[in-house]
Amino acid sequence: MKRIGVFLCHCGTNIAAVVDIPKVAEEIRKLPNVVLVAENKYCCSEPGQVDIVKAIKENNLDRVVVSSCSPRMHEGTFQNAIAQAGLNPYMMEMANIREHCSWVHAKEPEKATAKAIDLVKKAVFKVAKVQPLFEDYIPVTKKALVIGGGIAGIQTAIDIADCGFPVILVEKESTIGGRMAQLDKTFPTLDCSA
Amino acid sequence: MVVAAQHPNITLLTYAEVEEVSGYIGNFEVKIKQKARYVDMKKCTGCGLCETKCPTKVASEYDLGLGKRPCIYKPFPQAVPNKPIIDAVNCKKLVEGKCGVCAKVCPTGAVNFEDKDEYITEKVGAIVMATGFDLFDYSKTYGEYGYGELPDVISGLHFERLANASGPTGGKIKRPSDHKIPETVVFIKCVGSRDDVKGKTYCSKACCMYTAKHAMQVLEKIPNSQAYVFYMDVRTPGKMYDEFYNRALNQGAQYLRGRVSKIFQQGDKLIVRGEDTIIGQQIEVAADMVVLATAMIPTHGSDKIAQVVGFSTDKDGWFTEAHPKLRPVETNTGGVYLSGSCQGPKDVPDTVAQASAAAIKVVALLSKDQMATNPRISVVDEAKCHGCLVCKGVCPYKAIDGKVVSERAHGHTIERTVASVNTGLCQGCGACTVACRSGALNLKGFTDEQILAEVDAACL
Ligand SMILES: Cc1cc2nc3c(=O)[nH]c(=O)nc-3n(C[C@H](O)[C@H](O)[C@H](O)COP(=O)(O)OP(=O)(O)OC[C@H]3O[C@@H](n4cnc5c(N)ncnc54)[C@H](O)[C@@H]3O)c2cc1C
Ligand code: SF4
Ligand code: SF4
Ligand code: SF4
Repeated sequence: MKRIGVFLCHCGTNIAAVVDIPKVAEEIRKLPNVVLVAENKYCCSEPGQVDIVKAIKENNLDRVVVSSCSPRMHEGTFQNAIAQAGLNPYMMEMANIREHCSWVHAKEPEKATAKAIDLVKKAVFKVAKVQPLFEDYIPVTKKALVIGGGIAGIQTAIDIADCGFPVILVEKESTIGGRMAQLDKTFPTLDCSA
Repeated sequence: MVVAAQHPNITLLTYAEVEEVSGYIGNFEVKIKQKARYVDMKKCTGCGLCETKCPTKVASEYDLGLGKRPCIYKPFPQAVPNKPIIDAVNCKKLVEGKCGVCAKVCPTGAVNFEDKDEYITEKVGAIVMATGFDLFDYSKTYGEYGYGELPDVISGLHFERLANASGPTGGKIKRPSDHKIPETVVFIKCVGSRDDVKGKTYCSKACCMYTAKHAMQVLEKIPNSQAYVFYMDVRTPGKMYDEFYNRALNQGAQYLRGRVSKIFQQGDKLIVRGEDTIIGQQIEVAADMVVLATAMIPTHGSDKIAQVVGFSTDKDGWFTEAHPKLRPVETNTGGVYLSGSCQGPKDVPDTVAQASAAAIKVVALLSKDQMATNPRISVVDEAKCHGCLVCKGVCPYKAIDGKVVSERAHGHTIERTVASVNTGLCQGCGACTVACRSGALNLKGFTDEQILAEVDAACL
């Protein structure tokens, strides 16, 4: 038996003003393996995260769905939160009911609610199948290559080199300087450009 | 420039090009071609004697053809490194076997006609692109400006060379046709920029400011001169920028809002015909020289180097950043960063800011001894893989290669090829998983089983 916890975020009024969250909660409670459905005004906030960590521990959850904004925005936030509760950070799915739902269907709250239910349901079904994933580690060669020796390449190379790392600066012409070396004076200060 | 050349941590390879890049973030291997210079960098003292004696003079690329240079040359006197190369295309000795004057006069015997291209292989953890820009060639498209055939219609960069103290005229602004000092100079902005029909849709960003600079230079350097600027808009946001433009106005630059419809030669004047949309009238200016603020475009060969290094470019060929607001100096390829105007038109302050931003990203990477990779990457089920390597062809990150595995079957050991995913290169895009007909590839975190569960959820 899997133990899924679902956290429904209001995102202030961003989501909750359009999507009927209590209705979503009611539907999601009926799904297999779901042992907890909780709402929060801002899941990503400090107290929101503390609630998730507490809920995981108290309910012995082994995986989580966060129904909120785009994972591009807060996937890392929630991965960290569940890791704090002792879960593998990949034992989580996000349902994007903001960008994919409340924002784009702001004028059709009923349909938006139906879609939100589908999106969360999808995440619940998927999370039932996820497995812990582990990062791999690769070594890092402590040397940089800069291609192009104009003012951009020169500045980048000097900054990296000043931090103590070796840099290879490759310029296709026989001199560095790029366009700026061709200029006379440069705006806005009008000092020389060589 | 000199700081970079003398920095103990910087190896400067000029007259060199990156030919091949393999590997992945933290672990690239690059092959660099050091083109033959024909001058031994160790022996040459940069005295420049050879340059004065070379009898073969050709148009100087650096001065955009406004001046001449010998075949053994430094592009400009302050070049870094301050040592010449031989232009193998025009050098008499290299082409016809005759001459060799430079080798005779060189006091250190640095000239070496036998020099060959060399290849260097280096391992690096990060790559920064800083290949810059070129200028839009208006001559092919803009007939109204004379198709590049009127000698005194020049680009802004030509103007810079004319105004530059180490340029072909020693800093005296003289027009190319007869070296007369031009008293009336017309500037035309947005040439090839902001033109979705014949040019580029974008604004080139630096030209409003450098045109104001050029107008001031004309007014300051040439007595009794007049500077007219045809413009669509004046775009000078930036610290002390609008003030700079106002200085040009106060010094007497005359700004005319409208486009130029025709430039033609009449005697020794260039007649610039255009519209002043503010007074709503056709106007004509009899000019001695016309300067076009031509659009910035990605540097010549930038598409090729983008392919070699392995990252994407946008519709205009500029290098694409990972996110326009939040990740402006990274590319979508791990370990490859963008610095300066290769990412889009920029002036020097923006370029330098971005260059330092790219550097800190690199330093953040190089400060680590090892780095964690995203585990949501593709895995091969070797039992199911037939070794067709269709996946290898579709992977945009060159992350898949074949490998040979040996296994026991029917009492024999057999060897067969299976696909193998490089965990450093794979970006988890998933393209291979749908291409694999035997279902041997799965993206961790997005496995077939997991996706089908989502489909079930939608259907049940
Ligand atoms: C007419 C004119 C006037 C200007 N005046 C001003 C001004 O007054 N003030 C101001 O702030 N800005 C000015 N600018 C803008 C300024 O020139 C740019 O902001 C600046 O040069 C950008 O620097 P960069 O290093 O990105 O590119 P670049 O200067 O173009 O340097 C790129 C370098 O990369 C090299 N390169 C290219 N491809 C490769 C390759 N494949 N391998 C190796 N090397 C390669 C090139 O040879 C070059 O050396 C002016 C621009 C123009 C056109
Ligand atoms: S050998 Fe070539 S580079 Fe040397 S002086 Fe003659 S033409 Fe010039
Ligand atoms: S910076 Fe000014 S001149 Fe250049 S393209 Fe933009 S508007 Fe035109
Ligand atoms: S997931 Fe994308 S990047 Fe990874 S191996 Fe497959 S095609 Fe290549």
